[in-house]
Amino acid sequence: MKTEFRRLDETGLRAHLGYPDAPTTDKILDHLDSSCLAFLAHSPFLCLSTADSAGNCDNSPRGDYPGFVRALDERTLVIPDRLGNKLGDSFNNILDNGHVGLVCFVPGMTETLRINGTAYVTDDPELMSMLEQDHVTPTLATVIRADQVYLHCGRALLRSGLWDPEMQDLASEVPSSGQMWAEASGLSSEIGQLIDDAMVDGYKTLY
Amino acid sequence: MLPLVVKRITRQSNDIVSLELAAPDGTALPPWQPGAHIDVQLVTRQQRQYSLCGDPGDLGSYRVAVLREELSRGASMYIHSYLREGRTVHASAPRNLFPVLPAERYLLLAAGIGITPILPMANALAAAGADWSMNYAARGDAHLPFRDELGALGDRVTVNAPDRAGRLDLDALLAEPQPGLAVYSCGPARFTDAVEAAMEHWPSGSLHLERFEPKPVVARPNAPFTVRLARSGRTFEVPVEQTMLHALNARDVAVPGSCLRGVCGSCVVRVLDGEVEHRDSLTGGDETAVIYPCVSRALGDEITVDL
Repeated sequence: MKTEFRRLDETGLRAHLGYPDAPTTDKILDHLDSSCLAFLAHSPFLCLSTADSAGNCDNSPRGDYPGFVRALDERTLVIPDRLGNKLGDSFNNILDNGHVGLVCFVPGMTETLRINGTAYVTDDPELMSMLEQDHVTPTLATVIRADQVYLHCGRALLRSGLWDPEMQDLASEVPSSGQMWAEASGLSSEIGQLIDDAMVDGYKTLY
Repeated sequence: MLPLVVKRITRQSNDIVSLELAAPDGTALPPWQPGAHIDVQLVTRQQRQYSLCGDPGDLGSYRVAVLREELSRGASMYIHSYLREGRTVHASAPRNLFPVLPAERYLLLAAGIGITPILPMANALAAAGADWSMNYAARGDAHLPFRDELGALGDRVTVNAPDRAGRLDLDALLAEPQPGLAVYSCGPARFTDAVEAAMEHWPSGSLHLERFEPKPVVARPNAPFTVRLARSGRTFEVPVEQTMLHALNARDVAVPGSCLRGVCGSCVVRVLDGEVEHRDSLTGGDETAVIYPCVSRALGDEITVDL
């Protein structure tokens, strides 16, 4: 199977893609307007992109109660750090290179909100107290200064049927997380089953 | 939880709005008495307790009031910024942890948003021809909610604000214990703490108070303990980093939690054996047969609960 292909430069790319319409570029804001703030206030899920100073990228999901990303004003956002895998990939990158990109989702809504900006990590106690959820106060949060904000059109989510309940039959065709974990770590599928069983309990503690 | 429609949002002061909530089909809501609260769950799934501050004689709607908090954990900010008339919230039936009991005379002490349970108490006492008075500590006229309703109650109500009757001196007001006088108080922690301190030398049972925030609790460091469920005989460990409520729910033992801060009482569980370290803001000195597992823990290695 061929795995290397012709690499385009910008001229080659634009020959295919063309250029965006003025209305498309005009809707890019340098802050969150009231509609974007309302979108964020109802969003329970986002993907956070970071990169280290060499440009090595990472993308990581973040999810919580709707509105968990708090907008302190039209440019300043806060993402609380919740219980996770302690790898801290996003944090490590942000310490190295503050540039971040977010895609925020609202269940049932096909458009997504994209926010780019620069971030840092804090443990400010007053800020942490605002981020308490289910009696658990986070110890860390990511503060983002937004400088590019826009609503991304809904075609990707429409084509993918992402919010269509009938599409959820796909999940049963994918190896379970325990099996994927076992395979990645060179363990037997019996161990994978044990990991799946343990995860059922582990997932009951979300905070 | 009942779906309730936001019928009206009224700005009560520069930082308080009131919400009128009604059944979608307009049917009568469950009855309540002054002091009662409901749990309100927003579309964001955040759940908070709000005292009912309307007229218990009108079951066509409930009224609650919400303060815009500078350091909102989310619900106050959401209600002030995004909740609109016509939207649906979900609410529990009213529960009353702050009922008005028979007494010779009544003194109502409220501060800030703590006026919410106190206002229906005042209306009920006035309607019953009781002997009562109220002091309401507010930051100033711009922060004064329910202005007309407080005004209609006449001179039994003193509004203590710099631009009204001046600062409320609790130590002077409460210096002399008055047998037969029942004091009902609600407000921010610094206010209810001050009322409690000023009434330390009063006969026990004189003070009835409701807290929005947990009272400061000095607790020993968390230690693991075993919970024994009397009905099923099951036992399990509550580890250091988990609350007993989390541990119960994680094992599919359905105990409802709401405030998760030891103030609302919704997670109460009866204790059959074993001592409890009460870290809640609800239990008094003689009330040891229950535990509020959202915050409290066993004092010893094991407790047995009626579950």
